[in-house]
Amino acid sequence: MLRRGKDQHESVLVNFDVDRSAVVAARRDPRAFEALYRKYVAQVYNFALYELRDTHAAEDLTAQVFMRALDGLPSFREQSEPPGSSFRVWLFQICRNAIANERRRTRRHPEGPIELALDVASTDDVQTEALDREQLSRAWELIEQLPTERRQALVLRFVEEMSTREIGEVLGRSEGATRVLIHRALRTVAAQIGRGSDASGS
Amino acid sequence: MHQEADDQAIQADAYIEALLSAHRRMPIAVPADEGGTEPLGRQAGVRDAIRLLEKGLPRFHPSFLFEEQLADRLRRQAEVTTGPGSAPTAKVVPIAVIHSQGTGARMADRRLLVGGAIASGVSIGAAVIAWRRARA
Repeated sequence: MLRRGKDQHESVLVNFDVDRSAVVAARRDPRAFEALYRKYVAQVYNFALYELRDTHAAEDLTAQVFMRALDGLPSFREQSEPPGSSFRVWLFQICRNAIANERRRTRRHPEGPIELALDVASTDDVQTEALDREQLSRAWELIEQLPTERRQALVLRFVEEMSTREIGEVLGRSEGATRVLIHRALRTVAAQIGRGSDASGS
Repeated sequence: MHQEADDQAIQADAYIEALLSAHRRMPIAVPADEGGTEPLGRQAGVRDAIRLLEKGLPRFHPSFLFEEQLADRLRRQAEVTTGPGSAPTAKVVPIAVIHSQGTGARMADRRLLVGGAIASGVSIGAAVIAWRRARA
């Protein structure tokens, strides 16, 4: 799409926020919110499931997030620079707050094993169903041991496939700080893998 | 030291992006595993961690029943918002060129205002005509 810069005589090509038209439509008519819901319901559910480790709790939280988003849509303002989606960042900010509230309310940390989630939740595609359960269980166990922010950063990066910039916006950090946060989390995971192989080798 | 940590973080991020892009079947080459020239050559542990997490953290999908029930709930909530007592729907006046992102947001607000004003104007006009006809 064509947009003019500060200089009125100079036109530049820019990428607009991918959800802008859907958000405008939903603001005009809340019934159009369904398109945004369909697009992001699985992503929000995933994030909630990885954090809460309980399918019912993840469903409740997903419902909470979308009801809040629908109610709060008139006050939503685009924050991030395109390309990407300000709406998605906003949705995950709501989700993150809801998770923090849920934790405060229940005063417990997730302890459910991966098997519980795998038995109940249906996986996104056939490929993931064929995943090595041991590998799956190992990865789940490794990220579970991380501090909340590092774990969330890894889930947003690997599961939601967000860019470092988007993750930074969700977590309230700069892009550079987020990149370092992810790298530190990876080094912790790497150290755990090393410890695991040392233990099995000895 | 700080710069080195930043550089390693950038390398790790590029490697993740390449793996995820390959997974999405985008035409981006994933860095080779072997050899000393690859970006993560000195971070073998980090590379292994990335590979494990890329394969070992699957996406789950909510149940169909849950998704449809929540869609229904949101639809009902949206109906309440757009019910008979709610504000008139604004008409969109197309604007060909948006000068900047900041003013773009303001323009979006103005479009709604213009739409509301037109709707109000039409309503008042219709009421005046009806009143005159009633008097005639």
